[in-house]
Amino acid sequence: MIGSSIWARNILAAVGIFGLGFLTIPLVIIVPMSFSSATALTFPPPGLSLRWYDAFFGDGRWMDAMRTSIVLALISSIAALTLGGLAAYGLRRRAVAGASLAEGNFMVPLFVPTIITAVALYLGLAKMGLLGSFLGLVVAHTILNVPICVMVLGVAIREFDPRLEQVAWSLGASWLLTIRRVVLPSLAPSVFAAWIFAFIGSFDEVIVTSFIAGAYETVPKVMFNKLILEVDPTITAVATLLIAFTVLALAIVAVVRAQSDKLKSSVIMQ
Amino acid sequence: MLAGSRSDSLKDSSLGVSPSTVHQAVASPSCGEGALLVTRSSGYHFIVPGFGFLIPLLLLMVVVFDAPIVYMLALAFWDKAQGFTLGYYGDVFEAPVYLRVLANTVRISVVATIVSVIIGYPLAHWIRGLGRRAKMVALALVVLPFWVSVLVRTYAWIVLLGNDGLVNRALQWLGLVQAPVSFLYNELGVTIGMTNVLLPLLVLPLYAAMARVDDRLLQAAASLGAPPSTIFWKVYFPLTLPSLAAGTLLALILCLGFYITPAILGGGRVPMISNVLDTLINVYPNWGQASAISTILLVVTLLIFAIYRRIDQTTSTK
Amino acid sequence: MINRRRLLGMAAVGVPAISILRTRSASAQAKEIRVAEDGGVATKAFQSGFVEPFTKKTGVKVTLESPNPLGKLRAMVEAGQTGTVLYTGLGSVNMLAAKRLGLIDPIDWGAVDPAPMYPEAKKDYGFGHQYFSTVMAWNAVVKAPKSWADFFDAKAFPGKRALVDLPQYSLPFALLATGVPVDKLYPLDVNAAFKKLREFKSHVSVWTATTPQGPQLLRDNEVQYAVCSGSRVVGDPALGMTWDHGRLDVGYACIVKTSKPEDRVAAYKLLHEMSLPENQARYAEIFPVTGPNPDLDQYLPKDKLSTYPASKQNKAVQWLENPQWWNENGEAINKKWQEFKLGL
Repeated sequence: MIGSSIWARNILAAVGIFGLGFLTIPLVIIVPMSFSSATALTFPPPGLSLRWYDAFFGDGRWMDAMRTSIVLALISSIAALTLGGLAAYGLRRRAVAGASLAEGNFMVPLFVPTIITAVALYLGLAKMGLLGSFLGLVVAHTILNVPICVMVLGVAIREFDPRLEQVAWSLGASWLLTIRRVVLPSLAPSVFAAWIFAFIGSFDEVIVTSFIAGAYETVPKVMFNKLILEVDPTITAVATLLIAFTVLALAIVAVVRAQSDKLKSSVIMQ
Repeated sequence: MLAGSRSDSLKDSSLGVSPSTVHQAVASPSCGEGALLVTRSSGYHFIVPGFGFLIPLLLLMVVVFDAPIVYMLALAFWDKAQGFTLGYYGDVFEAPVYLRVLANTVRISVVATIVSVIIGYPLAHWIRGLGRRAKMVALALVVLPFWVSVLVRTYAWIVLLGNDGLVNRALQWLGLVQAPVSFLYNELGVTIGMTNVLLPLLVLPLYAAMARVDDRLLQAAASLGAPPSTIFWKVYFPLTLPSLAAGTLLALILCLGFYITPAILGGGRVPMISNVLDTLINVYPNWGQASAISTILLVVTLLIFAIYRRIDQTTSTK
Repeated sequence: MINRRRLLGMAAVGVPAISILRTRSASAQAKEIRVAEDGGVATKAFQSGFVEPFTKKTGVKVTLESPNPLGKLRAMVEAGQTGTVLYTGLGSVNMLAAKRLGLIDPIDWGAVDPAPMYPEAKKDYGFGHQYFSTVMAWNAVVKAPKSWADFFDAKAFPGKRALVDLPQYSLPFALLATGVPVDKLYPLDVNAAFKKLREFKSHVSVWTATTPQGPQLLRDNEVQYAVCSGSRVVGDPALGMTWDHGRLDVGYACIVKTSKPEDRVAAYKLLHEMSLPENQARYAEIFPVTGPNPDLDQYLPKDKLSTYPASKQNKAVQWLENPQWWNENGEAINKKWQEFKLGL
């Protein structure tokens, strides 16, 4: 921050580094455990092996579950983001009659204990004949993640300076164009946060999924089950693969951005 | 109201920053005062088809969720043998064990939320001030734990913090402690586990809000001679407050629903209401009792939410 | 990403009215039935032990759905779902609760025509297909307890304890520790059991919430004695365990109240397969939980008999859970349990 003292900056850095360390230290443990030769979760691993990766890739159920989980999380998070984002945008000044009521309604899936939501969604989807179907799963996960999107985007949109939008309006831009060109770019970090919350909310969900998924398997559903929680290191292998995938994706983004920056600056130089 | 909150709150802060400076700082340089004045006089509300944006979600919610949830919550008033009954609510209030579990859940959730805020706010602020590359790495580190199932992270804490775990071994090797510290199977363990889950949920929206704060605004305040602490508390903090409030509320409410992490890391000493409800739905299927408790929980959270909205409304329209 | 089988399945579920019409008009024999089941390793065992021989004989396909909590069964019946016919893995107390709530129908034992079964597995409303036990276990380095009295004696057997955070899995053991003989265990003297637990609670450092927690705590030497699932600790050289005075319980398969008659015909044939000892042995090979056939031992590998919860030698030294008592008293006890926990 501008002009703040060295002391304040050092304390801030200390807390920041502590926070990052606190967040990542479980991961530092999980990655080596996934290469363990032991059948239980132990650290340090008594020996190294790839058996848990074999277990993951060799088991059709794991692969199936991973595919279902990723597709489900992608579709439902985008649906929740779109519906929730539109709603948050519509709610932003609460000028609409009954807006508070509608907003409260959107938040209810977050406020009701998940197990109750699970039963309610079971009954609701059964009425629509969607029980045990992929569409039913998408609908349920969308509803579950709407509150978080409405909330995160709602705040961001309210913080967003409405005059920017007004300017666009007054210059004759359509609302679609306004949202795309003016509103979204400024909200990008919040949109990203809301999307990742919704994605993970779906990817990690187990209670509702257990009720309504029928024969579909998802990653958490394979991990949790009634008699036995299969805490063998396969789940650490799954986690490690996801971490590796994320790091790779972020690295690619970083490289692409660096390249385009270089390109831009070289153009300017010329 | 239409003028937006920024300029007004700045006027209040007695920094003497003129509204026009702020406009230029916030809005992109290409749009000047004139345009703003024009739109200010035009009927902003009527242009935006507000309700239309709500309809898709509202339809989905009402059909798939609202009707069955009302049915579920109404079960607390219905007994197959006697018809209408208040007996389930009577049970909750007569034998206060469920209310005490609920109170315990709220208490633990508040503690974990406060700890998350204490770490999360400075963390997000620190990340905002980093260079571009470091910022990217830091944000990646915040997002990474998301990919690891809460269950796996919970087991990682067991490995780390157990009596014979890495942290205790390190502490003893360094000679800092004689006997192993009991990090786990108590409220400390629950707080550590819950905070770890909550922190990214708080940091990302907070960071997003902080990133929206325009540096030129802060520079303007500094150039007018405001000391850093004044800039922070009078300009920066108020601008991030809505996101902080929202994130805190979100964290608190998510906490109330936690089950597996507190059950394992608390060593069963920290009863949570989700656990009790799960038993009432799945083991002794007393749905009436479960729905009475859930309704009470829903009312409590809706109240918290209403208070939050009221605060948010007054701060953002001041 | 969604393969064709899934899409077809989706369509079938998505248009229930049409699919019902189709099956009814085609024939009275179901082509495919749905069975709710535990999930995880148990699914693999169920598939290879029961589904494969059944499908080979009848040509009827089986779709397994997991998991199988009681609440889901209730939601299924309240919503009038006709898809799932058999709900397996209901614990003995859950089975009685489902019966009390009218969620399941009696089994037509004539249609099942089972191979011999233990009497506790052959109930009006339930086909007992899995025996599992809860036992005492300890880290191999400490002194081995011989009885529950030893387990609850922190002076003679020093060390931290882990008990299960459910009254059903804790109260009976505490009562046995006070010297109540196994055959006098029920009706359970609740007050005496809670008194014992209150006296002992300072030695309990963890109340476990999940099955793998107990063995993990023992291996990490976080506690020295723990109540564990028998099949999770048997055969581990780092741990000691005994089946003596362990708690044996039965998981039941039940007919869902709202299921279709033609599906039930097929389900009874599946239950018949589940009663055959050779199939139960195949199931136990993958998931070390044994079935209800009294002659099952002959079909299991001799050297592994000591590792199965309900092999003759192990069944003889354990006691069988009393579901009637828990069905009548469980909910009240659960409230007392929460009170007890709040006082920790």
